[in-house]
Amino acid sequence: MTQSTPEAIQKAADALHEAARSGTPSTPIRTLLAEGDVEAAYAVQAINTQRALDAGRRLVGRKIGLTSLAVQRQLGVGQPDYGMLFADMARGDAEEVALSDVLQPKVEAEIAFVLGRDLAEPELTAADLFRAVEYAVPAVEIVGSRVANWDIRITDTIADNASSGLYVLGSRPVRLTDFDPRMCGMVMEKAGEPVSVGAGAACLGSPLNAALWLAKVMARLGRPLLAGDTILSGALGPMVSVQPGDVFDIRIEGLGAVRAAFAKE
Amino acid sequence: MSANLSVLAAMLDDAARNATEATQLIETHPDLTIEDAYAIQLLNVQRRWARGERRAGYKMGLTSRAKMQQVGVSEVIWGRLTDAMRLEEGGVLSHQRYVHPRVEPEIAYIIGKPLAGDVSAAEALAAVEAVAPALEIIDSRYKNFKFSLPDVIADNSSSSGFYVGAWAKPDTDVSNLGIVMEVNGRAVQVGSTAAILGNPIRSLVSAARQIGRAGESLMPGDIVLAGGATAAHSLSVGEHIRTAFQNLGTVSFTVGA
Repeated sequence: MTQSTPEAIQKAADALHEAARSGTPSTPIRTLLAEGDVEAAYAVQAINTQRALDAGRRLVGRKIGLTSLAVQRQLGVGQPDYGMLFADMARGDAEEVALSDVLQPKVEAEIAFVLGRDLAEPELTAADLFRAVEYAVPAVEIVGSRVANWDIRITDTIADNASSGLYVLGSRPVRLTDFDPRMCGMVMEKAGEPVSVGAGAACLGSPLNAALWLAKVMARLGRPLLAGDTILSGALGPMVSVQPGDVFDIRIEGLGAVRAAFAKE
Repeated sequence: MSANLSVLAAMLDDAARNATEATQLIETHPDLTIEDAYAIQLLNVQRRWARGERRAGYKMGLTSRAKMQQVGVSEVIWGRLTDAMRLEEGGVLSHQRYVHPRVEPEIAYIIGKPLAGDVSAAEALAAVEAVAPALEIIDSRYKNFKFSLPDVIADNSSSSGFYVGAWAKPDTDVSNLGIVMEVNGRAVQVGSTAAILGNPIRSLVSAARQIGRAGESLMPGDIVLAGGATAAHSLSVGEHIRTAFQNLGTVSFTVGA
């Protein structure tokens, strides 16, 4: 594979940063990088992560994307991807979300895990994860794209912090022993109509599989998941577009409910 | 038109009996109404009764968004079940008995008290003796599974077989249970019972209303299949279908020649 140059990687990072700052989406950045160069795309992401940390933003967790086999096939990849969660991306349960806070928003229903201890060992198993997860909570991920019209391929979305935007956590944390992360049914309703339906198994067979994948990758890269971190583990059903004024109610059987409410303008 | 309806009913009944494809009624009868279609369905099922099959209940169709999108319509429909359609859980399905069979996961209600007309969800639930996970074999007799709304209704809403799992207490909350349908151990459909009109009990309420309007009633012992919870999976010989329902257990069968 041909290599993406450091200059091109920097240029892609600058374009995405400028899109986020100005609120004007960028053209796809994939044309700057070698085709399918996932490593370069993560290098783009890392530049903007460092930029965020330098600006004083607080890193509070990660999101996992591409956890549905159908979506992976669509983008021609065989594994999930990840992005960074910062404290200023968090919104409260049912709190009104300003549309100006995210570019081209869409919503996904997910299970979030909150860690009670670090996952620093690169050799991790599900048992380590069971012991590390302090709570699970229903979550809405409000994804966004700094790339115009969501015209993304794999390198665009990875470079763009895995298309992360904002997120909403439910109000009632639940222990991992008290619900079934794999078999739990999920329904997202808008104005009383089911607009997205699924179950835990839609996320890599189980949201815990996705979380374990992430924990291993992070430990290997030397930026391990730490006590207090939030993991958005991936969508349990299809992604839904957002119109001004929309209110989305998510119920995950055995886990609880969460609401994402968007401002009318 | 009544003589004509009998002819159409016989044509669809023969197609089901011989596992042969039928041409859409709408091609030769473009003015066919929904009322005509339900009249054909009754004549169609009466032929089964005349051969000794017995009433077993009802099925509701097109109750999920995925399903409505799949066939391009937007109305809940119903059909009739007979005892000959009941299949043995864990058994082998004979593929050649059908035209192009598909399977979809459902919730089944067994009725304990007569129920018909406009009822509330609470009244509907009070008439339920038990709930169970279920799989329905749907098999449109029309070429390429393509049909208009009157076509599918006349064809007994594609009903052709059903499996029922273990019965659970009627007050079991089945409003949002996760479902994983696997073929030979690989998930092919993942969803929730919430896809059935947001809550399967709404399908039973709709059954009571629509069947009451047709002058019939849900009777003790009737099984009501509330509608598909995911898109249907098209069956091939050699597939083992295992569907797990959160809190309710699994329903399985194998597809034979």
